[in-house]
Amino acid sequence: MKALRWQVAAIVAASLLFPLVVRSDYYQHVFILALMWVVIGSSWNLLAGYTGQVSFGHAIFFGIGAYTAGLCATKAGISAWWGMVLGGPMAALIGFVIGWVCFRLRGPYFALATIAVGEIFRLVAVVWRSFTGGMQGILLIQTFRSKLPYYYLALFLALACIYVIHAVMRSKWGYYFVAIREDQDAAESMGVNAFRYKSLSLIVSAFFTGLAGAFYMNYMAFIDPEVVFSLHHISIMAILVGIIGGVGTLWGPPLGAFIMVLLQETFRSSFFGLAPRWVSELHVLVFGLLVIFVILYLANGIVGDWGKIQRLWSSKAGGGAPAAGKSS
Amino acid sequence: MAVFIQTVVAGILMGGIYALIGIGMTLIMGVMKIINLAHGQLMMVAMYITYVLYEHVHLDPYAALLITMPCLFVLGAVLQRYLLNPLIKVESILPENQVLMTVGIGMVLTELARMIFHSDYKSVRPPYTSMSLYAGSIAFNLPMVIAFGIAVLLTIGLFLFLLKTDVGKSVRATAQNKEAALLLGVNAERITIFTYGLGAALVAAAGTLLLPIYYLFPDLGGAFTLKAFVITILGGLGSTVGAIVGGVVLGVSESLGATYISMALKDAVGMVIFLLVLIFLPGGLKRLTKI
Amino acid sequence: MKKLLCVALCLTLVGAFGVASPWAADTLKVGIILPITGAKANFGEIEKLSFEMALQEINAAGGINGKKLEFLFEDDTGRPEVARSAAEKLITKDKVLMLGGGYGSSETFAIAGVAQQNRIPFLVNTGSDDKITEQGWEYIFRLNPPVSEYPKALESFLTEVVKPKTAAILYENTNFGSSGSQEFKAICERLGIQVVVDEGYEHGGVDFKPILVKVKDKNPDLVYMISYVMDASLLMRQAMELRIKPKLFVGGAAGFTLPEFPKNAGKAAEKVFSATLWYQTLKYPGAMDYYNKFVATYKKDTEYHGAEAYAAAYVIADVLKRAKSTSADDIRKALSETDMMTVFGPVKFISYDKKTNQNRLPTYLVQWIDGRLELVWPKELATKPYVYPIDWDAVWK
Repeated sequence: MKALRWQVAAIVAASLLFPLVVRSDYYQHVFILALMWVVIGSSWNLLAGYTGQVSFGHAIFFGIGAYTAGLCATKAGISAWWGMVLGGPMAALIGFVIGWVCFRLRGPYFALATIAVGEIFRLVAVVWRSFTGGMQGILLIQTFRSKLPYYYLALFLALACIYVIHAVMRSKWGYYFVAIREDQDAAESMGVNAFRYKSLSLIVSAFFTGLAGAFYMNYMAFIDPEVVFSLHHISIMAILVGIIGGVGTLWGPPLGAFIMVLLQETFRSSFFGLAPRWVSELHVLVFGLLVIFVILYLANGIVGDWGKIQRLWSSKAGGGAPAAGKSS
Repeated sequence: MAVFIQTVVAGILMGGIYALIGIGMTLIMGVMKIINLAHGQLMMVAMYITYVLYEHVHLDPYAALLITMPCLFVLGAVLQRYLLNPLIKVESILPENQVLMTVGIGMVLTELARMIFHSDYKSVRPPYTSMSLYAGSIAFNLPMVIAFGIAVLLTIGLFLFLLKTDVGKSVRATAQNKEAALLLGVNAERITIFTYGLGAALVAAAGTLLLPIYYLFPDLGGAFTLKAFVITILGGLGSTVGAIVGGVVLGVSESLGATYISMALKDAVGMVIFLLVLIFLPGGLKRLTKI
Repeated sequence: MKKLLCVALCLTLVGAFGVASPWAADTLKVGIILPITGAKANFGEIEKLSFEMALQEINAAGGINGKKLEFLFEDDTGRPEVARSAAEKLITKDKVLMLGGGYGSSETFAIAGVAQQNRIPFLVNTGSDDKITEQGWEYIFRLNPPVSEYPKALESFLTEVVKPKTAAILYENTNFGSSGSQEFKAICERLGIQVVVDEGYEHGGVDFKPILVKVKDKNPDLVYMISYVMDASLLMRQAMELRIKPKLFVGGAAGFTLPEFPKNAGKAAEKVFSATLWYQTLKYPGAMDYYNKFVATYKKDTEYHGAEAYAAAYVIADVLKRAKSTSADDIRKALSETDMMTVFGPVKFISYDKKTNQNRLPTYLVQWIDGRLELVWPKELATKPYVYPIDWDAVWK
C-alpha cells in the first residue's frame, strides 16, 4: 500500500514538473490532449468497466460540455470558462435523462441505444443552426497564449477524475456498481436499487466527460458537431482507450489514453521524422491492430492483465526477474 | 399526391437494399447475440472486390455476386474462427468483448482498404445504372428494382434454408437455445463460424448490388453498420422476414421523414424509430407477426 | 501495477525527446498542413502533389537566394485537434519559417489560432470560411476567395442572361455547404429571386429522391447545389431520373468541376453549370502549363484546389526571397507587400469589409458541354459560348 502511494506521488510530481522541464509547446500540447483523454477514458470506465453498462455514446456528454461552454460565449455573452462550471452539471443532467430512458435496456441493447442517442444529438446540433451555429461551428479566441494554464487545468481535471473514481469505488456505491456489473438480478434481489446506482454512475461519468468537453472548447477554441459529437472519434475512441488500458481498473484508462495519443502522434509524424513518410499513414491501422491484439491476448487490458504480461516476460527471458522487463 | 407516391416508391426501393444489409446482421445477432460493428466494413470489402473485378476483368456486378459472396463467406468464417471464437474462452470483465473486437476488425479493414486503394472515390457504372422504368410520372430506378428483387429472392432462399436443411435447423436451434442445442449434439462453434460466414456473404451481396447505385470509399462502412442494426432491432433478432420488413419500414420512414420533415434529419428519423422500438417493442416486429 | 505507468511515462518521454530532428542550416523550411489521410484525403493529395511539383521547379531554378526551399508536410487527418498538433509540431519542433496549406475550414481555424498566437505567418490556400480572415489576425493571409464570393460570376450571369424568379438551394451540411447556402440565399434576396426550397443534407447519402421530389413539386427556375463530387453526381443522376427540368442546374464549385463528376454522373452531368475559382484555360501565365505538366507527371487530373496549392508555393517562394531576414515579422511584412502573378491569378493581400489580408479574385462560371468543362462566363474570357436555354429532353435522351 505504501509503495503504491509512493508511485502515485511520483506520477503526480512528475506530471507537475513536466511542463517546466519540457518547454516545447508541441509536447505540452500532446500531453494536454492525453490528459483530456485520461478524463474521458476514466469516466467511460466508471460506467462501463465498473458498473458494466457499456456506453457507445460518450460523445454526447463531451459534446454537451463543449457546447455549454461555447454557447456561454456566443449566446449568453459570458466567458466560455463558465463552461467549466456549467458544462459538467449540464452533461450530468442530460446523462440522467438518457439513463432514465435507456437503463431499462441491458447489455448490447443499452450499447445500441447509446449509439442512437449519440447520433440524434449530433444531427440535432447540425440542423439547429440558429442555436448551435450548425456546421459553421463555434469559434472563440484562446484566452492564454501559454500552454501552462491549460496543462495544469487538464492535469487537475485528470487527477480529480481519477481521485473521485477511486473514492467512489471505495465507498458503498462502488460495491453496488460492481455488484450490478457482475449480476444485476442478483444485486437487485439483495436489495440494491440497480436503476438508482446505474444512474449515479452515469451522472458522475457524464459530469467529468462534460468537463473534458468544456475544456476542449476553451483550449481548442473551435468546435462543430462533427468534431465533438463524433461516434468514431470520441465515443468509440473512449471505449478503445479503456479496453487497451484495462476496463475496471483505476489506472488502465489513463494508460490507454497516453498510449492512444502518443501512438497517434508518433505515427502521424512518422516517428518524429525519422521513419519514411508513408509510415504516417499507418496510425489508425496500428491502433486497430493493437486493439485486436489486446482483446485477444490481454482481455482485461494492459493494466488488468499486468500480472500475465510479467509472467510471460519472465518465462520468455529465461526465468529472469520481472524487473528485467521493466528496465528495458 | 405524386410527391407522396414517388417518396414512398423511393423508400421501398431503398428498403430493399437496407433489407439485404440487415439480413446478414440479423442472422449474426440472432445466433451469436453480438452486435457486429464490422458489418458495414465487410460490405465495403465486397464492394472493393466487385470494383476490382469490374475494372480489371470487366465482370458485370451482378455476375460478380458469384465471386464476392463466397469470398466474404470465407473472410467471415476466418474472422469468426480466429478472432471472435477464441474470445468465448477468455475470461474478461465485460461480456461485450466480442463486440469490441468487431470494432477493431472494422478499423483494420478500413485502413487496409485505404492503404491499397487510397481515399479516392471509386465507382462502377455499367450502362444500365441510370436506366429507369416509368409508371406515369413515377420513376423506378432499374438497378434498385433489381436489387430489391434479389433481396426478396435471397430472403426466401435463406428462409427455406433455415427451415428445411439440417445445417439450417442447427443454426436456428443455436439461436433459440445454445445449451439445448449443444446437448442435442450441435457443434456450436462450427455453427457460429458458418453463421458469421453466411452473414458476411449476405452483406457482400448487398454491397455488390449497391455499387452500381452508389460509390465506394474506405470509410463507407460505418454509416451502413448503423442502418444494419436499426433494421435488425426493427425486424427482430434472427428473423429473416423481419429483416425485409424492417428494411422497407426504415426505407419508407426515412423517405417520408426526408420529404415531409427535413432532409437533414433523415438519419435521425431512423434512429428515433429504433429507440422507440428498442424501448417499447422489445423483440421488434417479429413479436407482432410471430415469424 | 503503477510501476508500469511510470515505465510507460519514462519510455515515452525518452522516445519523444531522445530524438533530435535532422537540421540542415542551408534550407528554408516551410510547414504545409493538409489532409493526407481521412475522408478529405482526396483533395489533400492533389494539393500535396501540386506543392511538390512547384517545390521541384523552385529549387531547380536556384531556390531562395541560393538556399534550398523545403516543405515539411504534416497530415491533419481532417480533424481540428490533429491539425493543431501538426501546427504546434511544425512551429516549435521543426522551427519552420511560415505555414501553408489549410484545407478544411475547421482545421484551418485550428492552425490559424496556433499561428497567430505564436506569431508565425500562415498562408491559407483553401479553407474558405469567411470568418478565417475576419478575426483581425495579422499573421493570417488567404490566397483563395472566401466562400461568400464563389458565386460572384453566377450573380452577373443570372441578372444579365437567365433572370430566374424562383430557386431551390440544396447543400451538404458541412461548414462549406451551410455558409455557402446562406451567402447564396442573400444573393437571391438581393436579386429578388424567391427561394422555394432550402435544404441541407448529410453528405454521403444514397438516395436524394425525397429532397428532389420536393424540388420537382415546386418546379423552380434555378437549382443551386453545394456538394462534393459523389453527392453531386448522385444528385444530378437522380434529378435526371425524376425528370426535374428547371431552366438551369448550377453547382457551387467543389464537386461539380472535378473530372469524376461527368465520369460518375454520365449524361446527367451534361449542360450543368458550376461556379469555379479557376480554370486551366484562363489567361493567367502558366495556368495551362501547370495543368498539362500535372497531368503528364502524375497521370491524373487536377483542378482549382491544385492550382491554389501550386500558386501558394510560388507565393511562399516569392515572399521568402523578398523578406529582409527570416524573422517572422520580416516574412509577415513581405507577405503583406506581395504583388505578383500566379497561375491562380494576381495575388495581393488587402483589407476590405471586415476582412484583412485577403486576396481578392474574380470567380468564373463553367459549363459541361459535350463532356468537356468549358469556361462560359464572363463572356470575354469564355472558351465556348454558354448553352442556354437548355432542352433537357434532348440532353437526357
